Amino acid sequence: MGGSSPCASCKLLRRRCAKDCIFAPYFPSDDPHKFAIVHKVFGASNVSKMLQELPVHQRADAVSSLVYEANARVRDPVYGCVGAISFLQNQVSQLEMQLAVAQAEILCFQMQEPNLPTHQIDQVDKSFLLSNNNFDDNNIPQYLSFASSSNVIQDPLKKESLWT
Amino acid sequence: MSHSTRCAACKSLRRRCPKDCALAPYFPPTNPQRFACVHKIFGASNTTKMLEQLPLHLRAVAADCMSFEASSRVVDPVYGSVGIISQLQEQIIEAQSELVKTKSEIAFHKAQQQLQQQQLQQQQMQQLQMIHAIAQEDEDWPSWFSSSQQDSFPNVKLFEDYNYSNTFCGFEF
Repeated sequence: MGGSSPCASCKLLRRRCAKDCIFAPYFPSDDPHKFAIVHKVFGASNVSKMLQELPVHQRADAVSSLVYEANARVRDPVYGCVGAISFLQNQVSQLEMQLAVAQAEILCFQMQEPNLPTHQIDQVDKSFLLSNNNFDDNNIPQYLSFASSSNVIQDPLKKESLWT
Repeated sequence: MSHSTRCAACKSLRRRCPKDCALAPYFPPTNPQRFACVHKIFGASNTTKMLEQLPLHLRAVAADCMSFEASSRVVDPVYGSVGIISQLQEQIIEAQSELVKTKSEIAFHKAQQQLQQQQLQQQQMQQLQMIHAIAQEDEDWPSWFSSSQQDSFPNVKLFEDYNYSNTFCGFEF
């Protein structure tokens, strides 16, 4: 970084901050905690290797997700991010159950009044199947159904919370 | 862990596997891929530190979770398991929206059903009233007979008149 102050990583690692320091764009010196937590969980060397394997335009997102995971693991040293995943999976399951019950009620109405339009049921079934298929695509292991702490997710409905 | 068989961690790190190896219970030699992921993402040293900070009964679960996070990160090097969280959040939003839509449809159908029932009841009431009205008209037959509306039913009037007149005095005309 030339004459300017070293980035948070180089400060913590007590080394000269090179002009092409891979950490510098993502770990500014005004936020030392950010790198400290990532270094504690993943290690500077591993983070450096991970970033080097990614195209430049994806590194910022990768750093954000690493910071999130590292924070999760520090807050919950047993479950880390997996606690949040388990919590959200439970929420999805509950919602799917409620949706199934509501769909069954709609079917009852349709059976009583067969002239009702059926497009609503098709849409509902589609979303139900979509959510089930997404589960399969994620290959989330069975052990995620164990009890989890919900320390990590502050507000699961706000996507922005991932990056705060 | 037996002395002769090294755990996956020690095999990968090419070191002797001591009897009290901290990683051996959680990284068996039968699954080298599991430790390879964890080593790549967290590093052997960090993994050992994190596990040793936990009570014994929680280490297996922690190792499983770290293994899951590491393999998620290998599969998705940008978002890792955070990508899964993001997907689940989206699913929740979609499912909630779908639930709200479905519940409003149910409310609409219930309201329609209620309306139909009310209309049916009204129809039944009207029918009952008509039947009552007709029944009352039948009871008032004599007064109807002498009313100005007699000419509307000439046949009936003549018949009654004939019977009455013909038989009143026991004489026939």
